[in-house]
Amino acid sequence: MVLLLFAGGGLASVQADSLTVNARLVLGTSKEKQGSKKVSESIRKRLAKVFKWMHYHQLSSKKLTIDDSKTVTSKLSKNASIKVTNQKNGKVSVSLFSGGKMLLQKTQTLRSGQYMVLAGKSTGDSAWFIVLSKSN
Amino acid sequence: MNENEIQLKVQALVDGELTGREAEALQQRINDDAKLQHLHAKLTQMRGLIADSELPRPLPESRDFYWNKIAETIEHEKRAGERAAPPKPVSRWLLRWLAPVAGVSALVLLLTLQQPTAPDLGITLNSDHELEMSDDEIDVMTYNSDDDSMSIVWLDYSMDIQRDYMELWLD
Repeated sequence: MVLLLFAGGGLASVQADSLTVNARLVLGTSKEKQGSKKVSESIRKRLAKVFKWMHYHQLSSKKLTIDDSKTVTSKLSKNASIKVTNQKNGKVSVSLFSGGKMLLQKTQTLRSGQYMVLAGKSTGDSAWFIVLSKSN
Repeated sequence: MNENEIQLKVQALVDGELTGREAEALQQRINDDAKLQHLHAKLTQMRGLIADSELPRPLPESRDFYWNKIAETIEHEKRAGERAAPPKPVSRWLLRWLAPVAGVSALVLLLTLQQPTAPDLGITLNSDHELEMSDDEIDVMTYNSDDDSMSIVWLDYSMDIQRDYMELWLD
């Protein structure tokens, strides 16, 4: 029984040190796209406050659970992928790759309710967004 | 003696610059030459006119005292100049080093002030945020919301994510 309690405590501590990050691939457009999944209203409002595009479509979404000092790679589109490293104490390091080539690495503390956004121009009057947030 | 030399001699005679024998010889020649007589008369007349119209300038004191005073003044100014000219060795050394240092400092300050400052894009990036680019050719803009709830890195890098996404979905 005592052993089980110890084992349970150890498991709890491992879970507490891991970090879950939501990574979304978003397309921002001027015109609404029928049939596409829209991003949450919270994200849409935040992006629309900064950018000219009013419609934001979520093309893919990944939930990444990363242990302390570990790195997880996720493919968000054919060419775009990210590498997320849990640097402890809520600090994450995100590397963005396009076609296997690393474009940048952003490191910051990601708290609940905070968003890290990597973005750029896409075809026509549209833009790509990779929105990362800490999952509760 | 040519004519010009003779004319100069006549001028010298009028001015009293010729010695007795020389003056006598020339006077004899003038007496025999009407042209020289005429020149001598004209020059004598001219000298008389100048002498009459020149204002007398009497010295305020005796000639010797007057020149002595000028000589003393020149000597005094010369001594004063010599006293002021050579600076003390320490001040000279300081001047030699401080002048270039001051010049370089002024130049550095000028260059610092002229450094192009980054345009104010209203971007506030917390010290917690770190950004590392692997490709210097990609331009980047960063934005952080006032409440620190959203940080954005905008890359000047185009991706056709719609097609990418479709291809990934079809794979």
